[in-house]
Amino acid sequence: MSREEILNDGYLAAYITEELSTADAQEVETFLETDQEIQDEFYNLQKTVETLSFKYAISPSEVVKRMIMEDHKVISHMRGGSDTTGSGYKLALAASVIIALTSLVSAFYFWNQWQNTDYRLAQLTARNIELAESFNTVNQELSDIRQDLAVLVSPEFSRIILNGTDNAAESKAVIYWNPIEEEVYLNSANLASLPQNQQYQLWALIDGVPVDAGVFDAESGTFQIMKNIAQADAFAVTVEESGGADSPTLSTMQVYGEAAI
Amino acid sequence: MATATVDFNTLLIKRLRAKDTTALDYLYDHYSDALYGIIYRTLNHKEIAEETLHEVFMKIWDQIDSYDDKKGTLFTWMYRIARNRAIDARRSKDFKSSDKSDDITGFVDMFETSNNKEDYIGLSTVLNEIGKMCKKLIQLNFFEGYSHAEISENEEMPLGTVKTRLRNCLKEIKQKLRRDFE
Repeated sequence: MSREEILNDGYLAAYITEELSTADAQEVETFLETDQEIQDEFYNLQKTVETLSFKYAISPSEVVKRMIMEDHKVISHMRGGSDTTGSGYKLALAASVIIALTSLVSAFYFWNQWQNTDYRLAQLTARNIELAESFNTVNQELSDIRQDLAVLVSPEFSRIILNGTDNAAESKAVIYWNPIEEEVYLNSANLASLPQNQQYQLWALIDGVPVDAGVFDAESGTFQIMKNIAQADAFAVTVEESGGADSPTLSTMQVYGEAAI
Repeated sequence: MATATVDFNTLLIKRLRAKDTTALDYLYDHYSDALYGIIYRTLNHKEIAEETLHEVFMKIWDQIDSYDDKKGTLFTWMYRIARNRAIDARRSKDFKSSDKSDDITGFVDMFETSNNKEDYIGLSTVLNEIGKMCKKLIQLNFFEGYSHAEISENEEMPLGTVKTRLRNCLKEIKQKLRRDFE
């Protein structure tokens, strides 16, 4: 290869990235030893690559430096020098015994510290899990409440008060009903608790005909989702055997309210 | 200016050869970002790139005795180690099985992405002046570890043209930046 080829055909750039064959690389090296122009050209190409590399540098995580500086190949050179001649030897021996003892004590100390830290880490981890769990619970509750609130403020839902009958004058229940979506929610917090074998049952009355709208327990919350109801003139709650009945036992009616549509 | 840099590097190399860890500390602070840029762009994978950077610095530390200033500057020597290690990592079985691809698809122009590194006087302006193909060739070959042959195949450009154009592109940047090198 001629020096013109080296200068013009990209051999020097390829030499930087080591993409030349061994023979070509040797030829380039021969020219580099003697030819000032090729040396200058090579130096300039290298500097361009260096400048671009600095311009488009990216920072690695800080931990990489620590891993390098603490690599055993590096750390073993952190302190140099040993003296094994004459009186220095005895001194060195004494020193190393002291160092060994000190190391032993500090090893125990650090082992202890490590155990403590490990224990505390486990505690903190457990606490973290606990917090995460209660956060999830609170989050779930919040989203339930949001859903309830959405029903309360929605113009699609009408609010129907069911007042106590003579059977239970003090009782009250509230229905939230969306006839378009056929959704029914019930707040039964004011109903008295029932014996084990009995449950309340909600009925929708359509032209005087009762339609089952689901059974529930008094304690089971302020916002219960009931069966879908598209049409109703009124709602009523009766007391039935656990599991509900096919038709209402009217004599046990607890609350009653008309749907004002 | 240039002479001072050479002298400083000579001292740095001497101290590295004497296994002076403070020299390694300096070397890392000064060059890790530049070398990591090359490794990261070759691998596009943070963890593997950082692992590779670690290996590169261990190789520099272990093999500083084999550095030969006749074959290039200290930076070029480290640059070659970083580029080769990153290419090896990309070709490794582990890397290929981690659903990473080692072909040129998905090229993103690094010259277009803004960065907050110090702007060498006029470099941004100069890079705006050189052609798109120039920038792409430099990025693929010098920063993403693709060989002339790989670029030739991907860009459907004769091998000889890839080589000559790369050289011309670098030379063009250098000429436009001439004052910075004096």
